Amino acid sequence: MTKLLDVTNITAGYGDGPAIIDGAHLTVEPGKVHCIIGPNGAGKSTLLKAICGMLSIRKGDVMFKGERLNGLRPDQILRKGICFVPQERALFAKMTVRENLRMGGFIIDDKREVERRIDGILERFPILRERADQHAGTMSGGQQQTLAMARTLIIRPDIVMLDEPSLGLAPKVVQEMFDIMKMMSAEGVTVLLVEQNALMGLKNADWGVVLDLGRTLFEGPAATVLADPRIQELYLGGKKAA
Amino acid sequence: MAEIVQILILGLALGGVIALMGSGLSLVFGVMRIVNLAHPSLIIGGAYITYWGFKSLGIDPIVMLPVAAAIMAAIGVLLYRLVFQREAKSAKYSEMTVLLTFALAMMVEGLLGGLFTNTQRVTSPDYATAAFFIGDVFIPKGQLYAGIVSLTIIAGLSLFLKYSRLGYAIRATTQNREAAELLGVNVQFISVLAFAIGLALAGAAGSLVSFVFSFFPAKHWEWIAMLMSVVVLGGMGSILGTVVGALILSVVAAFVGTWIGATWSTLTFFLALFIILLVRPQGLFGEKPEMA
Repeated sequence: MTKLLDVTNITAGYGDGPAIIDGAHLTVEPGKVHCIIGPNGAGKSTLLKAICGMLSIRKGDVMFKGERLNGLRPDQILRKGICFVPQERALFAKMTVRENLRMGGFIIDDKREVERRIDGILERFPILRERADQHAGTMSGGQQQTLAMARTLIIRPDIVMLDEPSLGLAPKVVQEMFDIMKMMSAEGVTVLLVEQNALMGLKNADWGVVLDLGRTLFEGPAATVLADPRIQELYLGGKKAA
Repeated sequence: MAEIVQILILGLALGGVIALMGSGLSLVFGVMRIVNLAHPSLIIGGAYITYWGFKSLGIDPIVMLPVAAAIMAAIGVLLYRLVFQREAKSAKYSEMTVLLTFALAMMVEGLLGGLFTNTQRVTSPDYATAAFFIGDVFIPKGQLYAGIVSLTIIAGLSLFLKYSRLGYAIRATTQNREAAELLGVNVQFISVLAFAIGLALAGAAGSLVSFVFSFFPAKHWEWIAMLMSVVVLGGMGSILGTVVGALILSVVAAFVGTWIGATWSTLTFFLALFIILLVRPQGLFGEKPEMA
């Protein structure tokens, strides 16, 4: 199996506090959608924050394309090609949609190239084009999430990590977010998704990772994880996946 | 009518200088959440640098402005690295900076007192006591020049923040520090840069203040309440708000000073601060604080 990102037995937490994840591991293959599921407090978001450099890794390794990422700052990890969209979407409320997209291309020195890529994004996402001059803070939750996800594409990253993109959105809008995610994947962007809605997340993923109490319980093809009786019982409320 | 125009002109010219005095305070709070109580003492530091240049070398205060700004920017880099950076990740950072900058203000005051004594000083270029006359209205050249230079610097700062790459990074860090970091902004560097710019603005304001007001090391206690009023009225962290706040309060203070009495003029700022905090704590252009 080709590994794009390889996380081995990492331990991480906030400041000097207790470890939130301890012994978490996962393997990310290029071009696929990976979904991390687990109950509240399992450490799913913490794992993504540790990978992107927002939290320091106390033990274990994060290897990306064979390079160790431990100790790098978020801006340095972004330059390697890993983008992270946190739960709160990380938008600049008082900047317009276009300015937010410009910030998405902050690490690209060629301004004209950034503008070209922004035009491309606005072409693909008509809702953003219509609101290009509107402040991001005045848009609906779904529109904000669309902007946050579209913004990651400006730098053409290798991996986009999404922390609960469906949080607080209406079911119809949630499906739109998953459609955007699939489109990203179809374009060759590897997606690493944390999703509270395990059924929805796994149905839209190629690979599933089950996290509990800060540790990886197991990982495998999403369909296999979805069909596993333990997962059915623990995280899907005993529901059979259709 | 002439009297109203006269008061308006004086208020607006002075407001421009006060806007520059407050803009550094606002920028530093916006980007780093540092409530810099030492800002006015650093403005006085800039005024003394200018005073020294004027008295010892005969350099015009406005020509000394870039020198004072550059020296204060360098001091800003040192101060940030030595004092503020260490605690930047503390949960109580803003609260801690109030105490830190209070202590810093005392130290700057002591240092300036030791170097220059506590005598009142003022630089006195020819234009400081000259005026233009348009009919019955007189426009003091010193205040006019200081106001124009101040607003030009603020306009330059606004253009820099609006259109430059670093300006984008500063604005982004002001609005959402974590998001800026996730998009590749080195927020540590941006914090140092913003602090240096904040102090450069203090130095620049000091040069202009040196011929508009008389000053002495302890004068900063008088100014901090005035500047806080301006910045709080405009909205902490908003440069545009600071300019609007400074112009409004300066004009109102000028009317109060003329029609009611000079003693009551200063009260305008304190009263405004009191009312704003009661009625609209986020100020005119600030964001409403999130509920805990």
